[in-house]
Amino acid sequence: MKYALQRCCTTPILLRQYESSTNAVLGAFGIISELDRDFNCCGYPLRNYDPMAYMLASARNLALAEKRALDVLTLCSCCYGSLRHVEHVMKSDELLKQEINLTLGKEGLAYQGGITTKHLLQVLYQDIGVEALKKSLKFTCNGLKIATHYGCRVLRPQNVVDFDNPFAPVKFDRLVEATGAKSVRWVSKLECCGSPLMGVNDDLSKDLTGKKLAGALQGGADFLCVACPFCQIQFNRVQQMMIQEGRTSRPLPSILITQLLGLCMGIDEKALGLEKNLISASSITGFLKPKAAVGN
Amino acid sequence: VALWLDELNSRTILLYVHFLACFLGLAYLPFSKMFHIFATPISQMANAVMVRGKSDPASYAVKQIMELDGCMHCGACTLRCSVAVAFQQIPNVNILPSEKIASIKRLASGKKLSSEQLATIQQGMYLCTNCHRCTDVCPAGINLQELWTSVRDALTRKSLPEPLLLSPLSLNRALKAHSREPGDEGKPEEWAKEAIEATCDMEKVRDRSSPLKAGNDKLPRVIHGALAPHGFSNCFRCVTCSNVCPVVRNYRKPMEVVGLMPHQIMHAVGLQQWDLVFSARMLWDCLGCYQCQENCPMNVHVADILYELKHIAIKRTLAGIEKEPVLPRGGTS
Repeated sequence: MKYALQRCCTTPILLRQYESSTNAVLGAFGIISELDRDFNCCGYPLRNYDPMAYMLASARNLALAEKRALDVLTLCSCCYGSLRHVEHVMKSDELLKQEINLTLGKEGLAYQGGITTKHLLQVLYQDIGVEALKKSLKFTCNGLKIATHYGCRVLRPQNVVDFDNPFAPVKFDRLVEATGAKSVRWVSKLECCGSPLMGVNDDLSKDLTGKKLAGALQGGADFLCVACPFCQIQFNRVQQMMIQEGRTSRPLPSILITQLLGLCMGIDEKALGLEKNLISASSITGFLKPKAAVGN
Repeated sequence: VALWLDELNSRTILLYVHFLACFLGLAYLPFSKMFHIFATPISQMANAVMVRGKSDPASYAVKQIMELDGCMHCGACTLRCSVAVAFQQIPNVNILPSEKIASIKRLASGKKLSSEQLATIQQGMYLCTNCHRCTDVCPAGINLQELWTSVRDALTRKSLPEPLLLSPLSLNRALKAHSREPGDEGKPEEWAKEAIEATCDMEKVRDRSSPLKAGNDKLPRVIHGALAPHGFSNCFRCVTCSNVCPVVRNYRKPMEVVGLMPHQIMHAVGLQQWDLVFSARMLWDCLGCYQCQENCPMNVHVADILYELKHIAIKRTLAGIEKEPVLPRGGTS
């Protein structure tokens, strides 16, 4: 199976390990995410600023993928939200669709709704499935307590993104539990990580991140687990800033879902890039036990 | 004829003409596009040995000026630019990296630019996702990404408000806060918020004692109509949206910080109190997390309405039109 990768602009600079670990994990199941160099930004950062520029950006990528008859894969919750939103808008508003396609037509492109967008979590949960994942694991991490952080745009608005129940989602937790880890209950699980306000209102952004971290610690989590580059940056770079500023005392490491799965699948550590996580997540290797030993 | 030309000593004359042309050509070279055949290798060499933060800031700035001459305007960066598509909607050539360079040259030469020209350049500089693709493909090895950062910092000192800062495009700036030079601690995002407030009658907003007057009945229409009449009129003020808003819940007295809470904004939109609506900091403190919208029992598209209000607020500010909502686009509703 092949997907056209919508690369989030932040990943190649700030979070290379997300892409390399995703390629390694999906590759093990024969799923290829192909990088299309013609793709542009999904438009999400322009959403506050100019609605048409925002929609054109997503629509152009959808049109490029449709031309190659591939569904789009994104590792970013915000890219996912944008692409799905534009799909939704173009399906429900014929006039707007014509207007967008008129502009795209200058490049010989058009989006007719023939392909859709999937988030990494969807590919893991639907295409691969929890059972197949379990079978592929060489290690388990029983005893590890994980706080899953879904990311806003993967859940809401549900009528647009249609991934999981927005009030009581389970899919991400099932993926984490496949590794033998426990997905803990915690208070601010479904809240925003605070990233959209970083640079707009730093203080508020860090307040919100602080609440999330406190909530996860209170829930007894050893690690946060995320599936969005913005969230991961917030829980790493920004948490690091917060520690320096004395806003938070106990660091809580955050690990990417593909890193967690990759570790349990016994994938080469180089591809997983665990050492690149700014808040050290290396202690997670202490929880890994060979799968055969667990049966005894 | 040949004999006649020879008698005129034309060989020597032509030789002089040739020499003169060569010297003129050489003299003109630094001002022509071909200067890059010298400037590009020099800037590549400088680039190989200099690192931002480790090298002396002054000599790093010199290197960046040299890089400007290294550009041969081949357009490779624009072809790979992540946001070049925005140019289809926002007609500002400064969005395109290859065109930004020309404007930076004008800025660096110290020419007097009108504030309108500056604002255009600034919009182009900030409309960038910092994806580094321009730098990756530049055949002259120019560190374009660093160049944009430096120019943004330089423009900040001119204190022009930039509404683009009120978007996730600011993330990169915030993450680099520690690496900015001392003295650059201005809060340009605050200036943008103030510029948006300046389009509102703030005295009326702050005066909470006098009764509200009937609003301007011109309903702003935006692109896909969450703000269309039915959008907010289903709201029965149950306050669910504000109760679930993580921003509102972050404050003990939220109104003092955010101006209006989401349900109040819905109410104010219904009453067409545009000054109240557009001056509310809530618009810019909104995460776009869709908690309000998902939880609304009446299916009011609260988050989408907030987005539309942001668009109108920015259009009003950019257009410099005060006190009346403008029709930003034809709209489809």
